[in-house]
Amino acid sequence: MKVLTQKKLNAWLANLLQTTVVAAPVEAQGKLVYRKIDEVSQIVLDFERTDMSPKTWLFPMTEPILFIEQGVETKLKEPPKPEPIVLFGVRPCDARSLLAFDALFLDKAPEDPQYARHRESTTLVGLSCPQMWESCFCTAVGGAPNSTDGLDILLTQIEEGYAVEVLTEKGKKISANLVFEEKKTSLPDPKLIQGLPSLSKTDEWMALFNDLYWEQLSNSCLSCRACSFVCPTCRCFDVRDELTAIKPGLKKFERLRAWDTCTASGYRRIAGGHNPRDSQKKRLRNRFFCKFMFYPDDFGPLGCVGCGRCIDVCPAGIDILEVIANVEKMTEREKVGG
Amino acid sequence: MPDATKSATRPNMERATELTLPNLATITEIRDLATNIKLIQVQLDDLDVRKKFTYTPGQFVEISVFGVGESPFGLASSSDRGSKIDFAVSRVGTVTDALFRLDVGDQIGMRGPLGNGFPMEEFKGKNILVLGGGIGGAPLRPIIQTIFDNREDYGTVTILWAARSPDLLVFTEEYDEWCAQPDVEMYLTVDNAPEGWEHEEGLITALIEKINPSPKNTITVTCGPPIMIKFTMMTLEKLGFQPKQNWVTLEAKMKCGIGKCGRCNLGEVYICTDGPVFCFENVQGFLESFV
Repeated sequence: MKVLTQKKLNAWLANLLQTTVVAAPVEAQGKLVYRKIDEVSQIVLDFERTDMSPKTWLFPMTEPILFIEQGVETKLKEPPKPEPIVLFGVRPCDARSLLAFDALFLDKAPEDPQYARHRESTTLVGLSCPQMWESCFCTAVGGAPNSTDGLDILLTQIEEGYAVEVLTEKGKKISANLVFEEKKTSLPDPKLIQGLPSLSKTDEWMALFNDLYWEQLSNSCLSCRACSFVCPTCRCFDVRDELTAIKPGLKKFERLRAWDTCTASGYRRIAGGHNPRDSQKKRLRNRFFCKFMFYPDDFGPLGCVGCGRCIDVCPAGIDILEVIANVEKMTEREKVGG
Repeated sequence: MPDATKSATRPNMERATELTLPNLATITEIRDLATNIKLIQVQLDDLDVRKKFTYTPGQFVEISVFGVGESPFGLASSSDRGSKIDFAVSRVGTVTDALFRLDVGDQIGMRGPLGNGFPMEEFKGKNILVLGGGIGGAPLRPIIQTIFDNREDYGTVTILWAARSPDLLVFTEEYDEWCAQPDVEMYLTVDNAPEGWEHEEGLITALIEKINPSPKNTITVTCGPPIMIKFTMMTLEKLGFQPKQNWVTLEAKMKCGIGKCGRCNLGEVYICTDGPVFCFENVQGFLESFV
């Protein structure tokens, strides 16, 4: 097993900072978020889950996807490739969310060029969870506190420091200068939460699409959209143009892509004003069905990694794990009844 | 999961940048189609792009008014009729409002062609019933043009055009030309007929029942508001049409048009990539209703 002491890890990160952008969990206005760091000491290493997932680096809240110059001629320019970045301290659940993004943005043709640019430039250094925290349910959706899925390097805290698993070529590249100690030690088993509900299959979800449950569930939803905002796998977006400069005979615009969400009331409205998803029930139902039926049916991976952030932020107490449990119960009921 | 793509034509999606980056195009003609509806004709600026830009009836494009935004529009002309590309615009939002202010010679952006198209090969040898509601007639025009350009390949053509009022009927100046074709019948109906109106009054469903078309060897193509599609399908079924004979094109306000933005799904079906053209047999199987 490759092992790094805390001191060596810090030295490695300090060294990386000389040549590349490093983003890591830092505290900003009382929230834990992934930000570009200038010094290793800024990094928060002792945390459960960050308030925002690192998806902000691959799918930013708002970013230009096209630069437009309108003068004598119209010139269109795609954004340049972002500079290489190391995302440090990524929890395994959040790394798995990027596999869900890859399936949609990269694997399903045509590729999304902006996401592809970010993905290519990013190297992910993960940090295992020693345990599942409150509201965590990664194991119910195929993950684990020490999953390596989607990561380039995984660090696991051990007594001597960190056990290091270099998983990909990208991982090798950024750790090339590292001299590890080789130790005969086994990785600790993370503490799991037992008794989580098991996720029903997509056809079992389908059978419950018209169940009254969704109406009941949505009665308390305030449509605040906080759940989508903190979700590492939500990816609905809006596109709009913004004027950025104006000179005689020349206007510059940016075409911006910004996060949006299917739980917004007008999201699905069409040009004539008709809205096929015109009730809270339909919108909230779409959110859960997207995660557990539509997304896996259409793209492969589930649209949920069990991070539990939406449970923590919902002001109405809507709990995605409870939804999974209720769907399991209803499925059992259908089977017994049917 | 219903196979949403049954028989619909699927053009290749490999040309990634052409689908994600707008091509520049210049407006060559603008004319009024109806009250608050314009037909805008454009030509792609780049000669190579122009040559490669072929499309199937039913496909759509994302049109950019730079600085304002991008919106999806159904293509309203047949690709076989040359490099001038038509689309119809109803003034309902910011992008369409900006399009209304443009003039011939102005430049716009065009991304596409996107989505599938009507399976014109499968329609060969069949009688075609074309059902258009309001601006919904626009994406049906390429079908009509394709049939007329290959007249022997198809059977009889019956066109039913409906709108709320006569001033909202689209392509009125082309009716004479269409009706001059062999084996073509055309009927017009409006919800509220003014005095002197010589055609039908009432909903398209009443007109269908009155004409009572034979389902034998016939396929139908419908485009219009969701509520019109719903009741049109019910009427057709009453007259003996099987859902597999009926084709519809659905709409949504796709931001990306390539299955990423999540704005157009009906359950696990994406209107932008699985459609916008669907056989109604499949639409009936959708988990989430389009209405």
